[in-house]
Amino acid sequence: MSLLEKYLAGVGFRTNTPAFEPGEEISAFVTGYDGDTPVARIGDTVLRVEGAPADAVDARARLKIESFDATDHTGTATYLERVGESAF
Amino acid sequence: MVDSDESKDGEVAEELADARRARSDSRIEFYGGPAASTIPIGLFILWAIVQSGLFRIGDTTGLVAGMLLSLIVGMFFAKGDWKTYANTIFEGMTQKVAATAIVAWLWAGMFADTIQAGGFVGGLVWAADFLSVGAALFPAITFVLAALLATGIGTGYGTTIAFTGLFFPAGILIGANPVLLFGAILSGAVFGDNLAPVSDTTIVSAVTQDADIGGVVASRFKYAIVAAVLAFAGYLVAGSMMSGIEVSGSADVLAGQATALGLVHLASIGVVIFTAVRGRHIVEAISWGIIVAAASNLAFGLASVGDMVLFRAPDNVALAESLSWLPFLTTVPAGSDQVGVGGSIYAGAAGFFPLIVLTLLIVAGARIMIRGGGFEAIQDFLLERVATNVRRAETTMVLGTASVNAMITINTAAEIAIAPYVARIGERYNINGYRRANILDANTSALGYIFPWAGGVLVGYAEMRTLVGAENFEWFTNEMLVNPVEVWPFVFHGWLLFGVFIVSALTGFGLEYVSDRESEEVARV
Repeated sequence: MSLLEKYLAGVGFRTNTPAFEPGEEISAFVTGYDGDTPVARIGDTVLRVEGAPADAVDARARLKIESFDATDHTGTATYLERVGESAF
Repeated sequence: MVDSDESKDGEVAEELADARRARSDSRIEFYGGPAASTIPIGLFILWAIVQSGLFRIGDTTGLVAGMLLSLIVGMFFAKGDWKTYANTIFEGMTQKVAATAIVAWLWAGMFADTIQAGGFVGGLVWAADFLSVGAALFPAITFVLAALLATGIGTGYGTTIAFTGLFFPAGILIGANPVLLFGAILSGAVFGDNLAPVSDTTIVSAVTQDADIGGVVASRFKYAIVAAVLAFAGYLVAGSMMSGIEVSGSADVLAGQATALGLVHLASIGVVIFTAVRGRHIVEAISWGIIVAAASNLAFGLASVGDMVLFRAPDNVALAESLSWLPFLTTVPAGSDQVGVGGSIYAGAAGFFPLIVLTLLIVAGARIMIRGGGFEAIQDFLLERVATNVRRAETTMVLGTASVNAMITINTAAEIAIAPYVARIGERYNINGYRRANILDANTSALGYIFPWAGGVLVGYAEMRTLVGAENFEWFTNEMLVNPVEVWPFVFHGWLLFGVFIVSALTGFGLEYVSDRESEEVARV
């Protein structure tokens, strides 16, 4: 990332329901459960995470988007690997 | 031999496993349930409000005493063996969050004092003199110059003291409105506290949200500049509308303090900001800044070696007497309290010692709250009842940080206390670490300089009182003092920065998610 890009990153108005493409790989926190299924909530978009280990919640993971419904801002993703921890 | 080595290895492995188990399993049960685990932090916040808010004592070591007593009181509510409680204090203190903040503060302190020893304030005085602005423009220019100083030295309190001692009386003599002038100084302090990579609050905001300091500085520029441009315009307009006081007898306060060459430290500050934003480790970035500052001090005769590092040995030590030609060694009367080490490197680092001890104790108290379930209870309440979508989550983070900082005078302490909530609520919505750090720091900086009991306002007022009847300030009377309760509406940059974040939280301006981009290596704080 160039110096200018670092200063300009985030300038603008960001949606509260980000959209993702199937096949896309993202890094995000697994944030909780919907029933028994782990989910990653990104803004107000909710991804159901398949194949997550038991201690996945509140840790950052690499996820592969499997499907995404842009109308109700939900999707499914596959858990690939743990890549980071919560700050606390 | 082989057997005994193996058995030793086994013992070590077992000890390590025990320690790991203790770390992961050791929940502490409290009489009164999880709520009682909030006693150490809760009592500390109460102490901080009483000490700093009600009694107006801005003494960081006083807060250390409060936190120590709170930890002892909390222990009496812990069930079973108190060893677990005691071990949790150690566990909290050894967290990386505390260690990284401490390292960055020590370096920042050395840098700040070295550019001050090198006459950076004198350089700003020269700039003000050179621009020879009138009464209407003076508050706006004071805001810009105070912001520059605060961005360089990272301490809003230090900026407030330096500017209240020099620019405040100078502005009054020119005919600027005192209340507006004091507000402009505090606004400059807010700007630097928020943006400077060497600011204690910037450092805490980055390390508690798992973000690198350089990236945090770059990403908060967009908010700071919007608020600063509006604040500058505000001081221009108000400056032409609010009149000053007639002063009989005059003196040029700024003349004699001006050192044009002191502005060379803009380069020292530039080096730190540039290298940090380029992604170099903050220790490396500030070290380069210290080297450039020290070299400039010596090259331009702004400060001597002894101003930066000085051994003051007792004069009955023969070796010291014979080596006293060394630029960093001098002798002082044996047995006097002058014996010791001094200079900007020493004083800059030492200035942070009380805050370092306080930070270690607060994170220990926070750990007890986490182990006792109190943290989770408050977090669940916020997530289930208040922060129920991303906009509300961000608004909660802004208002939560602002209100804790409005209550606790010493804003770094308030920031450390609220940081875990900002981290966890933000993570539950995958809000990017840079954004979380920006929400945390902007509202910490802003609210620390507005209300009458805020630390920044108090240090400025204390400095102002020393002007009454001081040598060369015979004209400065009690009537010229700005009562701390008068200044709050005029800290334009503070209010605007808070406003920018309320609008940002409600509209998504500047919002980034974890999935949008990652912080640079976490080690690169």
